[in-house]
Amino acid sequence: MMVTNRIEKARQNYLNSKPAISCERARIWTESHKMTEGESVPIRRAKAFRDTCEQIEIKIFEGELIVGTIGEFRKCGILTPEFSWTWVDREMDNFDKRTQDPYIMTNEQRTYLRKEIFPYWKGKSLEEAFLKQLPKETAKVVVDTGIVDSDSKWRQAVGEITPDYQDVLFKKGFGGIIREAKEKLSKLSNTSAEDLKKKAFYNSIIITSEGIITFANRHSEKAKELAKEEKDELRKKELLNIAKICSKVPENPPATFYEAVQFAWVVQLGGIISENPLALNVGRFDQFMYPYYKSDIDNGIMNKDEIQELIEAYWIKLSEWVWTISANTAEFFAGYNQFQNLTVGGKARDGKDATNDLSYMCLKATERVKTHQPGLSVRIHQNCPNEFLEAVTHLVSKGTGFPAIHSDNAGYQMLINAGYEPEDARDWNNCGCVVPHFRKTGEWTSAVNINFTTALEFALNQGVSRITNEKIGLDEKDPKTFETYEEVKRGFYKQFDNLVEHSVVATLIAQKLHKEMVPRPFLSSCIEECMVQGKDLVDAGAKYNLGPVLTGIGLAVTANSLAVIKKLVFEDKATTMENLINALDANWEGHEELRELALAVPKYGNDIDYVDNIAIEIANHYYNVGHAHKDINGNSFNTAFMGISNYLPTGKVVGATPCGRKAKEPLSEGVSPFAGSDTSTPLAAMRSAAKLNQDVHSGGTLLNLRLNEDLVNTKRGQSNLGSMIQSFFALGAFHVQFNTISTETLRKAQERPEYYKNLLVRVAGYSTQFVNLSRAMQDAIIARTAHGKY
Amino acid sequence: MANITGYFMEPQNFSVNDGNGIRTIIFLAGCPLRCKWCSNPESHVNISGLEACKRNKLIYRYSTSDILSIIEKQRIFYRYSGGGVTFSGGEATLQQDILRELVYKLYDKGVNLAIETSGYFKFDEVKDILKKLNLIFIDIKHMDDEEHKFFTGVSNKKILSNIKSVNELNVPMVIRIPVIVGVNSDMENIIKTAKFVRENIREPKIELLPYHSFGDEKYEILEKEKPSRDYKTPLSKYLGELVKAIRNEGVKVVSYK
Repeated sequence: MMVTNRIEKARQNYLNSKPAISCERARIWTESHKMTEGESVPIRRAKAFRDTCEQIEIKIFEGELIVGTIGEFRKCGILTPEFSWTWVDREMDNFDKRTQDPYIMTNEQRTYLRKEIFPYWKGKSLEEAFLKQLPKETAKVVVDTGIVDSDSKWRQAVGEITPDYQDVLFKKGFGGIIREAKEKLSKLSNTSAEDLKKKAFYNSIIITSEGIITFANRHSEKAKELAKEEKDELRKKELLNIAKICSKVPENPPATFYEAVQFAWVVQLGGIISENPLALNVGRFDQFMYPYYKSDIDNGIMNKDEIQELIEAYWIKLSEWVWTISANTAEFFAGYNQFQNLTVGGKARDGKDATNDLSYMCLKATERVKTHQPGLSVRIHQNCPNEFLEAVTHLVSKGTGFPAIHSDNAGYQMLINAGYEPEDARDWNNCGCVVPHFRKTGEWTSAVNINFTTALEFALNQGVSRITNEKIGLDEKDPKTFETYEEVKRGFYKQFDNLVEHSVVATLIAQKLHKEMVPRPFLSSCIEECMVQGKDLVDAGAKYNLGPVLTGIGLAVTANSLAVIKKLVFEDKATTMENLINALDANWEGHEELRELALAVPKYGNDIDYVDNIAIEIANHYYNVGHAHKDINGNSFNTAFMGISNYLPTGKVVGATPCGRKAKEPLSEGVSPFAGSDTSTPLAAMRSAAKLNQDVHSGGTLLNLRLNEDLVNTKRGQSNLGSMIQSFFALGAFHVQFNTISTETLRKAQERPEYYKNLLVRVAGYSTQFVNLSRAMQDAIIARTAHGKY
Repeated sequence: MANITGYFMEPQNFSVNDGNGIRTIIFLAGCPLRCKWCSNPESHVNISGLEACKRNKLIYRYSTSDILSIIEKQRIFYRYSGGGVTFSGGEATLQQDILRELVYKLYDKGVNLAIETSGYFKFDEVKDILKKLNLIFIDIKHMDDEEHKFFTGVSNKKILSNIKSVNELNVPMVIRIPVIVGVNSDMENIIKTAKFVRENIREPKIELLPYHSFGDEKYEILEKEKPSRDYKTPLSKYLGELVKAIRNEGVKVVSYK
């Protein structure tokens, strides 16, 4: 089973070239804004988008079947100074030197940006407005603290959207969208304020649609030019075909698989140019592409191998653009990850199994090209074909960390709880890493990260951070005077609720500013209800508008720590609050005996109710408190236990914890146990995680387990893994993912990274190249307990 | 039935090599054999002597309900994987009363049951238990009685005759050979075993278990002398030859790897 030479070449290029930053998008965007001063914001943004589509250099690389990039480099990142430029200014001198996700940038580029780009945006960026409007007491908690973190919502665009191919894009094409917008415009009045706003919206849609069509046509022209010079007859033919396809889509609906996949890639590029988004999801690729696949096969237009090659080419394209992010954000989202989630398998809208040939071909593509994108997710339901489950566990055994495995039913239930119609809820796709989402949904799926463990630290240290000694939490009573466990718990929840409140404050301000400053015409044109209502995504134009998601970090560490206090101080009376606090102040130094006792208290992840019950209580409290707050559109906030790589940076800001963890060590991710503390079996870890009422946390839950490769390197082992997954889902859980690489292999990869460039590992909610992770992140992955000594 | 207690080694959840699916292995303490290569030396205890001291090294006293509650938490994994419980040891049939109570209760719950046994038991005493099982693993450690006595401390006569009796129960049976270089891995012994299996078992099946030294750590904890370095794991190429030879005898070679 080999990929074609063409794919292998592209794959080698993907593995061996470093991402470079292109200033082109920022340049054109800025020039455009200089010309549109005074016009309405949506129109200005739409024009900047169109100008970029018209002016950005068109590149078609050697041997490519699917074409289009966002800049002059093949592996390329862009800048979006309208969101934030200050961090770029601060950090770009170190872009090539930083440990996590470095980028190539030249000094000429730096000089250009400082002279021509940043001065224009000074005082105009989203970040600056946000920081100006944020109350001081909230800023202290949420700005670059690692305590409450929402910087991806004010230094970056939102992203977190799934273009609707079925009902909008493939049905109408952007030509059709323009016609629809014009028709809508013709019915609007100039004397209604509401209509005027809609007019601006529809006009912005027309402009961005024209832009994306031009962008594709320029690729058509370029392909024609290249064909003229091309000596190789076969390639000449390919280029002429590319020219034909790009002149047809995305203006018009596609008719073939090739046209449809090129269409989908151009939409992706449009999204990137418009806002450099996080989690611009592909959605249910096996569903919306299937009609084209079937018709091609039936009509002999393409065979299965040719379609497989196109899928693999698409995988590589998705992996070549690079999300440009700050060093801080990169610690939270390590590994050049863009979170373009692609979901296969699961039920159809009518409840029947939806698995088809393409579902399998997508799994095969990831196995063969081993790219970190798309974020491949599968939906597994109780009646899913065994063959599909086998294909899934087979891919797991390859150790790529893919796919992320989701319970079809839990995802459905999460959306039903959020008020979806059953058919829509059944049609869910994954967003980002582990959020059940839908192509008619508008939601900030990763609005804020909340560090649970700092709430405990504040309760045990009168609101003061043990790392910075700053008073960030609430000034409460001396923890040495706590007389009951209940009192400790109350103190913790008080600090906890305070962090949630600051998260809400920051989010409301960010939401307001997004409405005012960064409407999203291009992406709104991909969402059906926005077009129907004449409302941008920022104005809750989608059919389903869910409240922003708060992600909890450190659940296991926090539950483990409370269990230690409960048991050692108040039940066994083996120590006192005073001794324990002294031990934490000393980072356990000189308190080794007490630390041994603390480590021996039951830990979350071993199916022990004593501590699991504490985790359940925290999770339930979190849901109740989070859900009680309303966002700018009147929707309840949602909760999640997602992963991302956030458990590393959030650990650095927390001192020693009662569970025995030392200062600055990583916390725990999602609903996963603290690394190395799930010493029983993966089954026990699964049972602990499944206790947490996962279906109310509609922002998604994440369990990460490492399995030794010998456990899954036989067919029989893979079948048992399939059974484990089904059992876990029967217990009510939503998601699990596995790393199945031996510790030995990971150590070797640390020693000789040059030989392990293709080694994909699951970080949390996504996979990426192991060698692209910082040393600390690599060590954290190695530290996860490997299950499977049996 | 009363909630009686017995002596066990640490139960092992998530076992995938001792029968079908995902299983829990319940190790009962005590063994009439003293195999020189034993990987569970903590089982070498005198059960009646244990009553006096509360807890022996690596041996735990559990009641039936303790064991059943450990199993209860795992049942969902059995259900999806076709797994269940495997009794092992030591020699699982030595603590007959608690084994009987566990087997009867789990049988009524519909849990898939297997046993790994040395075959060294009084057949009539445990027949009712064995009848309720879904799979029986019996070891043949050596076909030569003198060698068997030398390496395990007991004669193989009772074992071989019990295998014939178990065959009458109509419960699927797999003969296991722990393949140890320096003990029983010679071609002659393996072929002899295969012939015996073919002649005496309705559906003749053998599983080869290459020797491992994972038990050595336990010898250290127990402050006992480790098995001789002369015992070695067979090379996989040689194992392949043994598999061929067994198949030539008309015996199926099975594996739970």
